[in-house]
Amino acid sequence: MTKVMSIEEAAALVVDGDVVALQNMATQAAPMAMVRELIRQQKRNLGLVCLVGGMPVDWLAAAGVIDRFIGAAVSMEQFGLCQQYRKAVEEGRIRVEELSETALNARLGAGARNLPFLPTRGLIGTDLIDINENLTLFQDPFGGETLVACRALVPDVALVHAHRADEHGNVQYEPTILWPDIGIFPKAAKKVIVTAEEIVDSEVLRRNPDRTVLPGFRVDAVVEVPYGAHPTSFYPLYGYDTKFHVEWTKVARDAEQTQVFLRRYVLEPETQADYLAAVGGSERLMEVTRI
Amino acid sequence: MTDYTVDEIMCTTLAAQFHDGDEVCNGMASFIPVAAIMLARATHAPGVVWLAGAAGVDPRPDRVPASTLEAPLWRDSVMYLEQYGDFWHYAQNGKNLGIFCVGAAQLDMYGNANNSIIGDDYHRPKVRLPGTAGLGDMGSLGKKLYYWNPNHSPRSIVEKVDFRSAAGYLGGGDERAQLGLAGGPELVVTNLAVLDFHPDSKRMRLCSVHPGTTVEDVQAATGFELLLPEGEVPETVPPTAEQVRLLREVIDPDGMCKREAGVRS
Repeated sequence: MTKVMSIEEAAALVVDGDVVALQNMATQAAPMAMVRELIRQQKRNLGLVCLVGGMPVDWLAAAGVIDRFIGAAVSMEQFGLCQQYRKAVEEGRIRVEELSETALNARLGAGARNLPFLPTRGLIGTDLIDINENLTLFQDPFGGETLVACRALVPDVALVHAHRADEHGNVQYEPTILWPDIGIFPKAAKKVIVTAEEIVDSEVLRRNPDRTVLPGFRVDAVVEVPYGAHPTSFYPLYGYDTKFHVEWTKVARDAEQTQVFLRRYVLEPETQADYLAAVGGSERLMEVTRI
Repeated sequence: MTDYTVDEIMCTTLAAQFHDGDEVCNGMASFIPVAAIMLARATHAPGVVWLAGAAGVDPRPDRVPASTLEAPLWRDSVMYLEQYGDFWHYAQNGKNLGIFCVGAAQLDMYGNANNSIIGDDYHRPKVRLPGTAGLGDMGSLGKKLYYWNPNHSPRSIVEKVDFRSAAGYLGGGDERAQLGLAGGPELVVTNLAVLDFHPDSKRMRLCSVHPGTTVEDVQAATGFELLLPEGEVPETVPPTAEQVRLLREVIDPDGMCKREAGVRS
């Protein structure tokens, strides 16, 4: 049975209140077409899980979609802090569960393996343990050393973007850096939704099975979205869109301008083609592809 | 004397800490450490192993790129480390990856760091900072931490952090050791000076002041009373003409480090 569906159908699998593990780094590999669709469908009270979150976190905060963040950092690196996210946290509209990278990996790793927790040595001596009910110190039963137990985290949905997939949901990556987003999010989550640059015949995947990073039996939905990570980077196909990030940082401090921006790039373009035309069409895409 | 800028003396000071065989990691928005690692590898320490962005092993970027966490940095790597399965396995194992270069919004007199919040209520902060990321791990995993700070001020070098998002020497003395934590903050390189930590009290101590800066300048820019070395405070060794040439012409021709340090070019 095919798992291919439209972006609207796939986004409808995300339910208000869900904990959503969203692939991205400061400026990398976010399933942005799916993020836009979550905003268009006016999802509410989502919790977001990211190792490092960038622009999508800021958009989801600006659109009132998320009320919790679980992760290690939120930043657009050289484009600065995510101002809408930051304001929402400072005003108490988003609650943050801040984890170190090993603690997040341990929580997700326990979730993936159906264990109650996994331990880490990270964070010992910090204030981050005391304020988090999902972390607690315990004694190693074998040697007595003090470690941090990180409670299992099972996201309701994992949203990832990939280079290609087949209709069965087998997912392949070109040789590139693999962040935990693809390494652990889909293994821990109850549902997995994949957007891919292209949907191909399984025969294409069979030529390079070593590049298949996710088996179809773990995947619930596949959507074809070319340039689906724009304006974040998706190497080796395209880099991050510097101009677009700068445009966002210019409006992101102002509530009204932020909404104008989201209307123009998120609410009004009805299809991926409309969106790509709105951001500057083939000329802009040529620029981000020249890397 | 060679003309140089403050980012350049920070780069050469950090570079001098790296030796053949060291395994060094950089995180995001870390232009000065990246340039320092590239400088060390291009000059006195070609055998420094570099984990670029904790992702690419021994890359050969053609220059310091606009991001220290994007693919142009790990160009020509001999290996890509998968972050969940590879990088944190090696990093959590005490055998490898001993040195981590890091910046922090606040660093206190015992080397504890804060990248979480400013204010006294974690859930209603005055300022939400980016988050602890890998620093909260590296502070507790027995690594040597090299802090850099291009804005040495009483707001960033403080008596006590508002929130401890990475462990330094905690309350000082043997508090860190009593928790079973090895390693810890080794050095702090700022736009004004180089500082380390007293071997017994673990209090931050002035090592050297950059040429043109006085001890009084550094003290005035620090949120607590600094320990001073015995005798006269030495000057930081300035960059050589060849180091300046390499930084400007080869390693960082786009001036990413100058931008990070707020140097007008």
